[in-house]
Amino acid sequence: MSELHLTDEILMAFADGELEEPVAAAVARVMAQDPSVARKVVEFQQSRRLTRSVFASNLAPDVPAKLRAAISAQIEAYEAASKAGRRPEPVKTESPWPKRGYPMKMALAASLAAVAVATGYFAGRQAQPEAGRLAHLEDPLVFTELSRLESGREAELPVGRLRVISTYRLQNGSLCREFRLQSTSTATDAVACRNDEWNVTFALTEPTKSAEYVPSSGDGLMDAYLGRLGAGTPLEGEAEAKALVEATR
Amino acid sequence: MATAIGQELVALLPRLRRFALVLCRSQPLADDLVQGACERALAKADSWTPGTRFDAWMFRILRNYWIDHLRRMRTEGMMEDVEAQTHLIGDPGEEPVMSKIALAEVQRAIEGLPQEQREVLALVCGEDLSYREAAEVLNVPIGTVMSRLARARKRLVEMTAAA
Repeated sequence: MSELHLTDEILMAFADGELEEPVAAAVARVMAQDPSVARKVVEFQQSRRLTRSVFASNLAPDVPAKLRAAISAQIEAYEAASKAGRRPEPVKTESPWPKRGYPMKMALAASLAAVAVATGYFAGRQAQPEAGRLAHLEDPLVFTELSRLESGREAELPVGRLRVISTYRLQNGSLCREFRLQSTSTATDAVACRNDEWNVTFALTEPTKSAEYVPSSGDGLMDAYLGRLGAGTPLEGEAEAKALVEATR
Repeated sequence: MATAIGQELVALLPRLRRFALVLCRSQPLADDLVQGACERALAKADSWTPGTRFDAWMFRILRNYWIDHLRRMRTEGMMEDVEAQTHLIGDPGEEPVMSKIALAEVQRAIEGLPQEQREVLALVCGEDLSYREAAEVLNVPIGTVMSRLARARKRLVEMTAAA
């Protein structure tokens, strides 16, 4: 019917009022004919409203006095310098980080805490020396699938359902894959990297709360981990297929 | 001129803190981030073009400041922390404590999004920046803004519908 291929991006842009007129009119026509398209647009409007409300509720109008004072001091110094006709120099208040010492690990700890709070993911307990938990990740069948399964695909294995999520090439040349292994009781998000063979380098496990819906709450940590690896942009399509063949040759 | 920037900056502080929190997820760290970004903004105040959006200009400075910070930290022991958790495994016997925490469903869904999706969602849907303005803040093509934003919002709808 319609020649127009309506991607999610186009429908979203329509919902956000970001489409140029001829395209917008075309989308409106398709919407009128196709309820599923209309529903998508409504969903995009809805997600915007929801997000907006969340952000509105997160706006704390009270800026801590200390922060306000520090910034007022910066502004005063800046204005004094401007008035004196000098080129304003950077105001050297204490550089916030080195002295106060909020290294990145605190941010990570904070996001870890958030994950723990939000989902019951248990962070406080150190890695169980129980090799059993990792053993199912390192099952040869899992590794076999990691060597060939395209991202987004799934495989049913005796140890659970394996879903390969993404593939990355690191700067040192090794190939890493993010995957999820889901059994009846747990879901584990993990990363395995390959030089000569696959090694599981990262794993986050959480109990499966209900069969149908598992929030991937470990995302922050997984992102942090992939970021630290320097994972960059995931390989897709042919690039991924080629990398897999090369790595497992 | 100088006064104008000072006033704008003070007025923007609550929103800067909110966006900083999206980036780093820690309030103390977010406040440090805001302080550092303001310092940087004042040092290059003349690079702001009056008539353009001051908030978008500040968000960009804030985010670049955060990225620089991450880069700096990368060499300072961050790796060990991640490695310490490398084999961190949850205890499947632990009951979820979610019910004890009155977190709004949508909030949780947003927090579950990958960082790159969260920040674009914050800028466009939270801060009302246009796609183009968000692209400038994030220093990515507008197409990337759109694909990340669409993915984030689809996921949001799925998650809030499924919960």
